[in-house]
Amino acid sequence: MNRLQVFTHSFAGLLLSGSIISCDPKEEPIVELPAATEGFIEVNGGGATFPNTVFISLRKEEQFAIGRKNWDLAFATGSDFKVLINGTTGAMAYETAATDINTIGETQAEPLRTEGALELTFTNLNGILLVDNVQNPLSDPAINAISATDADNKVYIINRGSSGTEARPWKKVKILRKDGKYVLQHAAIDATSFTTIEITKNTNLNLVYFSFEDGVVTVEPEKINWDFAWTAGTSTTPFPAAVNGTLAYYFQDLVYHNIYGEVSVVQVLDSEIAYENFTEQNLPLLTLNSDNRLTIGSSWRSGGGPNSLPSIRNDRYYILQDVNRNYYKVRFLSLTKDGERGKPSFEYELVKAG
Amino acid sequence: MIRISLNIIKPYLLLFAFFVLAGPAIAFGQITGKVVDQKGKVIPFAAIRFADGNGVVADAQGGFSFDDKKEYRELKISAMGFETLVFNLEPNEESVKIQLKEAVAELNEVVVTGNVDMQSVKNSVYQVRSIDKLTIQNRAANNLQEVLNTELGIRFSQDNALGTSNLEMMGMSGQNVKILIDGVPMVGRQGVSNEVNINQIDINTIEKIEIIEGPMSVVYGADALAGVINIITKNPKQAVGYSIQARLQEETVGESYSPFAGEGNHIRNVSGSYTFEKPWKVGGGFTQNRFGGWKGNYTGRQYEWLPRDQNLGNMFVGTSIKGLDIDYALDILGETITAFGPENRLEVIDQNFVSTRWMHRLNGKWDMAPTFKLSIQAAYTDYARQTETWVTNVRTNKSKLSAAPGSQDRIDYSGFTWRMLGSWLISPKLNLQPGIDINTEKGSGQRISENEGIQDYAAFLTGEWSPTNKIKIRPGLRKAYNSAYQAPPVIPSVNTKFVLAPGLDFRLAYARGFRAPSLRELYFDFFDASHSIIGNPELKAETSDSFNGSLNFQPVDTKSIFKKTVLSGFFNEVSDKITYGVDPADPRITTLFNIESYRTTGLMLNQTFSLGGFSGELGLSRIGRYNLLSSEQTDLPEMLFTTEINSTISYLIPFIKTQVNVFYKWTGALPGFEMGEDGNGNQVPNEIRLDGFHWMDLTFKKQIGNQLSVNLGARNMMDVTIIQSTTGGGGAHGGGTQRPMGYGRSYFLGLTYKLSK
Repeated sequence: MNRLQVFTHSFAGLLLSGSIISCDPKEEPIVELPAATEGFIEVNGGGATFPNTVFISLRKEEQFAIGRKNWDLAFATGSDFKVLINGTTGAMAYETAATDINTIGETQAEPLRTEGALELTFTNLNGILLVDNVQNPLSDPAINAISATDADNKVYIINRGSSGTEARPWKKVKILRKDGKYVLQHAAIDATSFTTIEITKNTNLNLVYFSFEDGVVTVEPEKINWDFAWTAGTSTTPFPAAVNGTLAYYFQDLVYHNIYGEVSVVQVLDSEIAYENFTEQNLPLLTLNSDNRLTIGSSWRSGGGPNSLPSIRNDRYYILQDVNRNYYKVRFLSLTKDGERGKPSFEYELVKAG
Repeated sequence: MIRISLNIIKPYLLLFAFFVLAGPAIAFGQITGKVVDQKGKVIPFAAIRFADGNGVVADAQGGFSFDDKKEYRELKISAMGFETLVFNLEPNEESVKIQLKEAVAELNEVVVTGNVDMQSVKNSVYQVRSIDKLTIQNRAANNLQEVLNTELGIRFSQDNALGTSNLEMMGMSGQNVKILIDGVPMVGRQGVSNEVNINQIDINTIEKIEIIEGPMSVVYGADALAGVINIITKNPKQAVGYSIQARLQEETVGESYSPFAGEGNHIRNVSGSYTFEKPWKVGGGFTQNRFGGWKGNYTGRQYEWLPRDQNLGNMFVGTSIKGLDIDYALDILGETITAFGPENRLEVIDQNFVSTRWMHRLNGKWDMAPTFKLSIQAAYTDYARQTETWVTNVRTNKSKLSAAPGSQDRIDYSGFTWRMLGSWLISPKLNLQPGIDINTEKGSGQRISENEGIQDYAAFLTGEWSPTNKIKIRPGLRKAYNSAYQAPPVIPSVNTKFVLAPGLDFRLAYARGFRAPSLRELYFDFFDASHSIIGNPELKAETSDSFNGSLNFQPVDTKSIFKKTVLSGFFNEVSDKITYGVDPADPRITTLFNIESYRTTGLMLNQTFSLGGFSGELGLSRIGRYNLLSSEQTDLPEMLFTTEINSTISYLIPFIKTQVNVFYKWTGALPGFEMGEDGNGNQVPNEIRLDGFHWMDLTFKKQIGNQLSVNLGARNMMDVTIIQSTTGGGGAHGGGTQRPMGYGRSYFLGLTYKLSK
């Protein structure tokens, strides 16, 4: 873990200083160790208030925990110009008609406040329209893809999210592109001036993260160095009264696999092949998913109901293929540690080395 | 010997003194007299009738006089609560003392609720349903729910997460039903009288249950909106001697059973009382209920109906000194409900819900003057509910208390009640009942925000006026002050009763009722990652206007097959109903408001009959609940009706002297509407229905000798487990939720042993 932190921190430092070097993983001084053959990880989720998002690398048997509220916007590093909001705090984004950030103020925000339209609650039946796609966020983000034509980029009002964290003042943002970089304008809602920052894509990462307070920050490890993330975050639940029959709903104990980092996953039921008996021979039967990060999602646990506590589902496990073509079988053991939620644990075994 | 004679003589001496000092001047040709009870105490306003139909009424001191005539030698003396006596005057008798015997009516023929003294059901202005201990014994019930579940207008819903049940009455939730023990409000998980779990009461202590429909807010204050269930406990008998009872009952829970412990339902009870020659009475009892739970569809550790251990104790001391009857009663509850958590690969989490209640009651009744009686009740209840969470690592098999926040929780409620009710007989036609009612409660717990508690002070006045012996009018008024919420300033009520024809009575009542916001609604806060619910300390009381009417017909011919017919109806309009909503100041927070209005209405018909060895009753009700969606969707029906039918049939099999009872109720489907989406994504109301179900218990009771009785039977003959809530009306989503209703057909065998002298 230290190794990872040192690396990512120094990398962030480089980023901030503006001296961007094209990083080829082959030039890394750190030698790739053999993939772990088995492991048991107690996830450092921070406890019952779920303060952390935890990125996990199976082959390195490592976890990297970061505060959910440490960031606000995440900028895609691929060929597209797309920006995500922080679903792990329940953030929402509302597109205004304006293109000049200074023309947006409390007048535009006020109706959203009184209606609760920009709050992730189970009473906000239109919430699903104002959050990133929960399965594949870059496929349909709440903020429209940034256009090369400046006039097409609207000002957005951002609720930074208060799910599992304290509410913070809303922001307004406008994002443009310039020379292959993003240009972010942001300000407090009632401000008449704004701050501008350029964000450079870093292709070693899936996303470059930005905090209104701290600028560009390190959130996820390099995209080759994590397989899945455990977090609390925005997901959906069927609800007939909500728009599209779907309610944006904040979930605890969500697991996202790294769909933008060539990780794919499939669920296997013990009734088909018992976890203990699953071997390399069983792999060809499976089709692994790489475009829905909620493949594990909340399926590994039952949320509990009027008559039961939340619990892990003992009848299933997951096969995960990492970026190095290692296949692991992963099963979750517990939602809790000493009874406390937010500290789940799981175990895994290497099925086939890449 | 001497002392005993003195004791007997003493009242005579006193009486003599009364005659001399208070009696009118004795003149020749005038008969004077005095009416007293068996203890020599004055009976005011007795009616003295002569053979010619004329008569006089005794005064407040029991004295009467009339001019002597030949045909006036035979007197017929009657007074409320006493057996009518025919008295013949001796030829030259001029002053008489007439002693009346207290009427010992069958207990199911009297009503206690709302009065200082017992009143006969027939004379009461209230429409009362009562269930006596014989019915409870015939049902071999383990808890109150098993007694009330075939009553019309009463529904239960099971909260299986917590192992408790909630009651609904006359279309209104349990929050609107006041549960009293001998007139004292109970304290439960939600505070005073709000959704009390009636299964936390020892069934073996119950003498009878009185159910009064319609608000009795003037006398009992808050929460008596839908009605009052007053549980009258057994009281040691008056005569010197002892009585001992022991009960043992074994019962299956659905198909699961193991003898005397573990799976199944195991009930043990012992109780006893002793009445001393000196005016002292003592009693006590202890009951164990061991409910092993029911797994239902679970195959692993979990239970659909949680296992429950109950220990219930009670004691009683009573005495009477100079016209003052006073007794102290203590009821203790200890209950542990265990929720076994689901299987996990590493940690399993189990919860214990531990409830304790100590209820102290002091009852006093004081005959201050022949025309004035005072009853005083003081009660103090301590209720605590503790949640313990245990974590067990299945790989190491070690258990410890969970350290997770909120996993060890405790809620404490305490309630104090002081009630004083006077009964002042002003004239034979007018009786005034002034009263004072003080209730205070306090609640504390991790999730309850700091509060000062609730203090409620009320004074009320009711009175019964009978302008003729065919009409009774009972108006009432209550004025209250409440420290925590805005209580209605004045609560009025009028109850009337008219004798339309011999055997035919008509009752009509109006009352205003109110439901106090509970401590929970005022102060309970709940936050987690996806919920933000806070109590609203600004809540007002919910208020209601209720109209009740009933027609009772009891044929004068006692040989008739049809014994008693009761047709009753009610209409309730509730305003400022407390309901959840989004806080306008902060849309992320859900809180409570007084916004909705609600209505219920209903009709009930009940017929008792007796034919040969058969006796029983048959009832039908149709109760309507307001459809909340109809305020916006005008094409929807405003009221949604549900039908219930019940019947009780008893038969004594002559040659084996065994009584067979069938208790049956059909609870009709409960319709409702909820908003949903149609095929085009539009919001439309969808009809939903909670299925109806049949409930039937079959019991046999055989008395062996004088002391032993055997109960045998089957509960839930129709094998009900869940009832389905279905979506109709072509909605896209079928299926729907399920509600637990029973744990399947169960069989029981019970023994009751009674010894008394």
